[in-house]
Amino acid sequence: MDINSSPDYILQVKDLKMHFPIKSGIVSHTVGYVKAVDGVTFNLQRGMTMGLVGESGCGKTTTGRAILRLYDSITSGSVLFNGQDVYALSKKDLRAMRPKMQIIFQDPFSSLSPRMPVGEIIGEAVREHNIVSKEEYNDYIDTIMDNCGLQPFHKDRYPHEFSGGQRQRICIARALALNPEFIVCDEPVSALDVSIQAQIINLLNDLQEKYKLTYLFISHDLSVVEHISDAVGVMYLGNLVEYGPKEKIFSNPLHPYTKALFSAIPVPDPTVKMNRIVLEGSIPSPANPPKGCKFHTRCANCMECCKEIEPVQKEIEPGHFVTCHLYDEQ
Amino acid sequence: MDENKNINTPETEEQKYSLNDDRRVKVLSPGALVMKRFWRNRLAVVGMSVLIFMFLFSFAGGIISPYGQNQFFYKDVEISREFAAVTENDEFRYRASDSTDKFGSAVQAQAMLAIQTKKGDFTYRDTAYTVSEEGENFYSIYSGGELVGIAYKDIVSSSVEGQKLSFDFIYSALKAYTSDTSKGDSSFSSEGAEYIISDLGYISDTSGNEVAYISRYVVQAIMGDVFLSRDFKEKLIETIMAGGTEFSYTDESLIITEDEEPVPEEEDEANILATDDVSEAEAPVSATAEYTIRPNQNHKGWSIRQQQSSRQYDTYSSPNKAHWLGTDRYGMDMLTRLMYGGRVSLLIGFIVVIIETLLGVIMGGISGYFGGWVDNLIMRLVDIFYCIPSMPIIIILGAAMDAQRVDPSVRMVYLMLILGILGWAGIARLVRGQILSLREQEFMTATEASGLSVKSRIFKHLIPNVIPQLIVNCTMSLGGVIITEATLSFLGLGVKFPFASWGNIINDVNNTHVLTTYWFIWIPAGTLLLLTVLAFNLVGDGLRDAFDPRMNR
Repeated sequence: MDINSSPDYILQVKDLKMHFPIKSGIVSHTVGYVKAVDGVTFNLQRGMTMGLVGESGCGKTTTGRAILRLYDSITSGSVLFNGQDVYALSKKDLRAMRPKMQIIFQDPFSSLSPRMPVGEIIGEAVREHNIVSKEEYNDYIDTIMDNCGLQPFHKDRYPHEFSGGQRQRICIARALALNPEFIVCDEPVSALDVSIQAQIINLLNDLQEKYKLTYLFISHDLSVVEHISDAVGVMYLGNLVEYGPKEKIFSNPLHPYTKALFSAIPVPDPTVKMNRIVLEGSIPSPANPPKGCKFHTRCANCMECCKEIEPVQKEIEPGHFVTCHLYDEQ
Repeated sequence: MDENKNINTPETEEQKYSLNDDRRVKVLSPGALVMKRFWRNRLAVVGMSVLIFMFLFSFAGGIISPYGQNQFFYKDVEISREFAAVTENDEFRYRASDSTDKFGSAVQAQAMLAIQTKKGDFTYRDTAYTVSEEGENFYSIYSGGELVGIAYKDIVSSSVEGQKLSFDFIYSALKAYTSDTSKGDSSFSSEGAEYIISDLGYISDTSGNEVAYISRYVVQAIMGDVFLSRDFKEKLIETIMAGGTEFSYTDESLIITEDEEPVPEEEDEANILATDDVSEAEAPVSATAEYTIRPNQNHKGWSIRQQQSSRQYDTYSSPNKAHWLGTDRYGMDMLTRLMYGGRVSLLIGFIVVIIETLLGVIMGGISGYFGGWVDNLIMRLVDIFYCIPSMPIIIILGAAMDAQRVDPSVRMVYLMLILGILGWAGIARLVRGQILSLREQEFMTATEASGLSVKSRIFKHLIPNVIPQLIVNCTMSLGGVIITEATLSFLGLGVKFPFASWGNIINDVNNTHVLTTYWFIWIPAGTLLLLTVLAFNLVGDGLRDAFDPRMNR
């Protein structure tokens, strides 16, 4: 597998593992780990949007945050942003790099400081990082707000005066104001109603074109991912089970989990017969994942080797990776 | 939008129904919202008005008040008392000669009889006595040619106190005095010395020193501790002889210099618990007094009343025009004391709370933000501070400061520091809890993702979100601090004279007599204290409700 630092790739994630200790007892010793992310490897090309899908608790958000080094440390693996290892940076260098990679949160209500006017929320970091000069500052904030569909007079208002969609626009404006190259969109639309979702998605698309942005779009809404993404990654229990260009993933899902997941996309045509693959059981605990392939407890194509040996990521067709024993070369 | 414009160019349909933000009602900032909600709370507004009144009363009142914080007031009291009695001696007194024992009381009675019957001689127990009139109301009694005694009405007293006059001296003096009918000096000799008697009865030796005087009048002081000087007696007798009824006399020994103004002594420790401390500080008795002379009913004497005007501390005076709330036990204006007391009480409250809050925010902030072992250390420190029994400590420190005779103003600073240092733990815990919960909020993650500095993360994101709770907590604890200060001052361990505080004003009431008689000493101070603490609590409650966005009142 090729993971050379290529200028094509803005982000290279290699075998990222993020385990959270479970503490217990009086002396709070570690009794185990929640393996929220347990080996994620992918590369993301500049200007692309990668959709990251999976059910709740599979580690999508943890992956997104680990990439931005919002955790103090990761268990193992590496994250290369523009060829630089994010976790090898000093605090000072990291701060300098922060504006280049931004995040938009799922909950637009808790992600805005309630006691700060909107203009200040958007502009605070701009001033700290000296993105623009003092003279240009006001115009710059106005432009950013205008680009995100906000009026200049919103500047003096407080977050509680805005609706969910407007708050999400503020979050986008805050991320965008730092002139980033890469934005992690952590389920930015799942808290919004459908009409607003469309507005926000379109806004994100417009901004991507305008500012040449790269997105990591985390969502569990497959239709949104299909709309916005260039590449799609499917996660199951901390593992990236399948990863490839959107067209290939949607037209030719390889992993049994992907197949089951995609069979659940509702088709807006009552005549089409749905071939739903119903998964048995529920998702195992990430604190105590099954041995071998993590999906084998629910997999319809489970083989003997799946229960013992952990599968490795293989490139089945150019750019299309899958982690499954079904595609082992015999 | 301008109204005229609306009439001329009606709004388009789109404009009319647009939900554009600029057409919405002006929405308020969180601070303005809190204010709005606060003003809707009637009790809180009442509390706020009470507080404003208290501040004006304490801080402006002290300036307006014509009196000083520790200005004493005096009153002039006319003391009228029985001072002395004068009797004219109209009975014979007897004196036996130094060398004889033949002049016992029975002989005296016989002599008296003989004098009254104007018999020249009498016999008693086979002894013959001869009575001869030597002058006016002066008789000498002889027995066998020997002078055994004298009977007289004019009394000879020595000018030197305690000195006994010899028989011979008295005899010679009386003889010269009574036999001399012409007004003027006469002279006599006794025991080899020459003496001169003035017309008023003063006896002086040849060198002019007065040794004795003769007078029909006896002047006695009614009060045992008063010594009547000769000057006084002289003046008194003169007035009586002239038929006057009034005179004034200045006792030079009582005049003291003006600058020796006594200040009530600072109470020492023993007085804190002693309730029998009712000694009223008295201003000096003025030296000049008026005396009135009134004849007794039997017309045989006069009684002298002293009318002395004395300046006393105007203690416990009831409310009147000059002192609207009366005066306290030192004679200071109660209302002014209350104003200055309020100043001290409020100031101590505020400074203590500021110290508490500063310490609490810094410690709690560090603890909550950095977590880990720092958090552990600070929280254990907080636990220790919670375990400290603050009252005993403050009382011990107060007693220690008494022993060290710490200056009252320095003492006040110490008091604030001690209260502040003992009180930060609660606030630290509150701030830490708030910061811990805030740290998990997504907007804090967002500040991390934006690469903001630690400083701006703490001061622009964390602290503003803690401030509401902090304000509520501070307002509430202000009342508590004021109460603590009042308690300490009441016990005599807090604010000390000359500074007033509501607590040490109430401290004046340390016995039932004052409690029942002088309501104006403790009711106003107690009421102010109650109102202030109540108002702080009401405002605190109001603020808490106002800061809570779920309260829709």
